[in-house]
Amino acid sequence: MELKFVKSDITGEELYYGKHSSGLGVYIIPKKDYSKAYAIFGTRYGSVDSKFVVPGESGLTEVPDGIAHYLEHKMFDQPDGSNVFDKFAKYGGNANAFTSFNMTAYLFSATQDIEKNIETLMDYVQSPYFTEESVRKEQGIIGQEIRMYDDNGGWRVFFNFLECLYQEHPVKKDIAGTVESISRITPEYLYKCYNTFYNLSNMSIVVAGNVDPVKIAKVIESGVKKNEPFDEEIRKVYPNEPDEIAKAYTEQKLSVAMPMFMLGFKDTDTGYSGKRLLKKSIEMNIILKMLFGKSSRLYKDLYEKGLINNSFSFEYTMQPDYAFTAIDGESSDPKAVYDAVINEVDRIRNEGLSKDDFERIKKVIWGDYIRSHNDIEDYAGTFMRMLFMDIDYFNFIDAYKSVTFEDVQARFDNHFVKERGALSVVNPV
Amino acid sequence: MDSIKINSNINLYYIPMTKMKTTTVGVYIHRPLCEKEVSANALLPYVMKRSCKLCPDSESVSKYMENLYGARTAACTMKLGDDHIIHFGFETISDKYAPDSAKLVADIAELMLSILFEPTAFTGDIVGLEKKNACDRIMAEMNDKAVYAMHRCGEEMCKGDSFALSMLGTVDGINAIDAESLKKHYNKIITSSVIDIYICGDTNIKALTEKIKTYTDKIAFREACIPKSEIFNGNGGVKKVTDKMDVAQGKLCMGFKTGVKANENDYISFMVLASIYGGGAHSKLFNNVREKLSLCYYASCSLVKNKGIMFVNAGIEFRNFQKAYDEILAQLEAIKNGEISEQEFTSGVKSIENDFESYKDNQRMMQVYYLNQKVSGTDYDIDTMKERIGKVTLKDVTRVAKNVELDTVYFLTGKEEA
Repeated sequence: MELKFVKSDITGEELYYGKHSSGLGVYIIPKKDYSKAYAIFGTRYGSVDSKFVVPGESGLTEVPDGIAHYLEHKMFDQPDGSNVFDKFAKYGGNANAFTSFNMTAYLFSATQDIEKNIETLMDYVQSPYFTEESVRKEQGIIGQEIRMYDDNGGWRVFFNFLECLYQEHPVKKDIAGTVESISRITPEYLYKCYNTFYNLSNMSIVVAGNVDPVKIAKVIESGVKKNEPFDEEIRKVYPNEPDEIAKAYTEQKLSVAMPMFMLGFKDTDTGYSGKRLLKKSIEMNIILKMLFGKSSRLYKDLYEKGLINNSFSFEYTMQPDYAFTAIDGESSDPKAVYDAVINEVDRIRNEGLSKDDFERIKKVIWGDYIRSHNDIEDYAGTFMRMLFMDIDYFNFIDAYKSVTFEDVQARFDNHFVKERGALSVVNPV
Repeated sequence: MDSIKINSNINLYYIPMTKMKTTTVGVYIHRPLCEKEVSANALLPYVMKRSCKLCPDSESVSKYMENLYGARTAACTMKLGDDHIIHFGFETISDKYAPDSAKLVADIAELMLSILFEPTAFTGDIVGLEKKNACDRIMAEMNDKAVYAMHRCGEEMCKGDSFALSMLGTVDGINAIDAESLKKHYNKIITSSVIDIYICGDTNIKALTEKIKTYTDKIAFREACIPKSEIFNGNGGVKKVTDKMDVAQGKLCMGFKTGVKANENDYISFMVLASIYGGGAHSKLFNNVREKLSLCYYASCSLVKNKGIMFVNAGIEFRNFQKAYDEILAQLEAIKNGEISEQEFTSGVKSIENDFESYKDNQRMMQVYYLNQKVSGTDYDIDTMKERIGKVTLKDVTRVAKNVELDTVYFLTGKEEA
């Protein structure tokens, strides 16, 4: 495998990368003076991918909701009955895995024996072993995971919010599925999903930390078990999502101290990835900080009226085929917060954004970007998430420089449309 | 780490770390954890960070930080044993990453000093609003049920001991404060507490030392020392407490008395014990309560270093209380009997070594590590700590395990459940 090399003169960051003949993308970010190394091995496959066409087949495959996450749990069972965590522990590796809407990833961090840990990671993720009994056993554990989230106000307010924004898109469904949907999961379904999405041509590995890139690339190369890349794309089938939201308001009662809220807007400017998507995300992050950041007029007003407290936060979530803003916090009167947001949006639509605010907040985005290289776990995770949206994180500076005040003003007009806004509330019992 | 004594109370510690792209400043003001002042301590940092002589209102504080390429600030209180710590954190990207050669670290230090020694927000309006927010924070402790269960277990377990107090204070205590009394409290503690300032990253430490000296040399300090923690002696017998709430999952928290002080050699052995017992995916609790019996998604243990306490936590079905309880105790019994495989032992040790080594890549963890060492009266650097962990034997672990006694069993259960 041939490795290419890039270096940023401004940040000093370096990247070695290549594509293995199996289709596996390999990315190595050396951090010379770090004590730790981190590896993340991921597939472009998440909770939204329950309908797809397997390469070489013509018919649609449909599987129960929650299966990507279930599969992630079951990858830890090995054909020889051994325990994956024990193998990592032997080399001091701290292993974990997660499933999100659009990816499943297996990872470890370690301060010694990095190569042995990478061998272990490569080996177990390529060794599926599912039996009736082992699949059944997991239902108790995942059932408790689902229950745990049922009591989590922050989680509930989030998914209720997505159910407001989306009529059809599976992003509105809980990542772990439901107790009912996971009861229909069988070893056959798991193998079908595994053999489709865990083909190495659908996967990448990112390694960051105190490593020798050439050595690491060799370990990865010799860890490849199956060199049979698909020659066509896996076709993921998503329903047609209308621009209109499903509903503007929802509420639920839970054992929480005071009402929790999440409000935000559905982004309908979607359907693209790569550089264009990266630029959009920078624009959105600037606007969110201009509108809702601590120096903003709205924040000051809401805080001083006692309508929000230190729990207030905001975020822009993006994927090529869906995106939304989410503003959340605790408030004695979530509807008043929502109304204040809508009023502020109206005011800015009339008066325009402030150029001074733009210049100042653009500096904040620079700081965030510089900081994002500090923690190798976050860094490698961000790098992979971007990669799966066809974004090269090393292109950030160019995209950042290209964002103008006019871009941000236009983005504001496009995104903050009252009819696409929704409010989700979790009230105390 | 360089350590510089500014005066009788203020210590400055510099941990150079240029491999990171930020510089982090942590301020820790040590106060005794006691009913009389816990609420005022809990409220104070949130009022102090609102404004100061350098930035006369909240908006100017925010704009100041934004102009420093989005420097960050945090304020909170922490509880290390019976030491109630008022904490301010600041973080900026290091100067060499500022495109306009700004002096970010010096500017953030300036803000830190003004917030610490020249706060201006002791007005009725601001104190009133922050009192409301402080009460909200106390009430919100119930939102995270796992944390709440552990908090309630500790509260019941240590009834009568100051450690039963929440680091957030009490609603009654907060309500009794007004702008004038808070200002008075500030004036008292700023001159009569140990104040540790940790800087981790890239800075000119000489210039900073001078700046701090200039800021403080006209203030009269009364020599102070770090509050001492008393270790927990147990209630004698097992106390059982059940709370009912509208929840889908039960939370079991079991509090144990360990009898080991943080500055004793045995504490190192105890860390290995806790790692083997419930310190992650390699542990007995994970492999038995979760993997073998499928009773939960998480089961783990944690140590309260300066109090000689260990907690075990698990989220379970209401009806599985007894099964989980029995298995948690059975696994502890196994450790007491020396039933620890070589794999379990080595994994337990390696996991802690890996954690400590990882701190070297995290500026905040480095500060907290050294702060913890100081509060416990031990001064091991990370490599010494790892060396000591590596010397612990299986015999050491079973020996210290024999002193562990179950003290309090707390269960948060559903309303419908009998």
